[in-house]
Amino acid sequence: MSAEPQFDELIHPSTRLSIVALLASADWVDFGFARDSLRLSDSALSKQFSTLEDAGYVAVERTRSDRRSRVRVRLTPAGRAAFDGHVAALRAVLATANGDGLADPGPATPRKA
Amino acid sequence: MSQPNAQDAALALQAIALRQQQVIDEVDMPAWYWGGLGAAWVGLGVVIDLDHPWLTTAATVLFGAAHASGFSRANAGRRRTGRLSVRADVVGRHVTALVLAFIVVLGAATVALSLLASADGARHPATFAGVAVGIAVACGGPTLMAALRRRRASQLQVAA
Repeated sequence: MSAEPQFDELIHPSTRLSIVALLASADWVDFGFARDSLRLSDSALSKQFSTLEDAGYVAVERTRSDRRSRVRVRLTPAGRAAFDGHVAALRAVLATANGDGLADPGPATPRKA
Repeated sequence: MSQPNAQDAALALQAIALRQQQVIDEVDMPAWYWGGLGAAWVGLGVVIDLDHPWLTTAATVLFGAAHASGFSRANAGRRRTGRLSVRADVVGRHVTALVLAFIVVLGAATVALSLLASADGARHPATFAGVAVGIAVACGGPTLMAALRRRRASQLQVAA
């Protein structure tokens, strides 16, 4: 991963970090899969998705298959860039602490979590 | 929020690795794939033993087409269920080639077993070989995918 370190305050809280990390490895994730994997309630997960959607980090798509309504969530390019930058910032923090001093963690984004 | 300290950063990276592992655990073929392939292998052996060249040709073409369709639907292990689609770079480039190589090797094993059984005087050599290899497909396929998942997880950990 060669993203510029950019600490992202919106992503960093543990629940949102887990959500974005899950989405980052997938093209899309079904709402139910995310709920079961993260062990969150429907309402808690919906709230987090809304926050991330408002920030332009995830896209929520509602589809119908087999007469059932399904919700698929995917990371947007902006969300992926933010996640990659955040991971790079976390690694930079560790590298600095370990004395490698390879990279500066970068500025924190001004977002409020 | 200020920058995290090293301990927080390490915990966050661990949490990210855990979620990545959850997605890697989903890399597999659907449940029907290996069982269906094994059953089709047995069926093809039975058809070959009927000794009608046109029937054998038709069954082989049908087998190839059905497999191509099923493999495509499974998206080379990226859609075990309808609950998520794993990113191609997480699955890795070699899964498709390895699964197809596995099938080609077992195809060669089927021919070899069939010839051996025929030389030994078996009445239904292709059926015998089809059953043996069909069982190997149904049991070996999931084992192969589990090995690929373990390998991919360790590769991604090294890359992290």
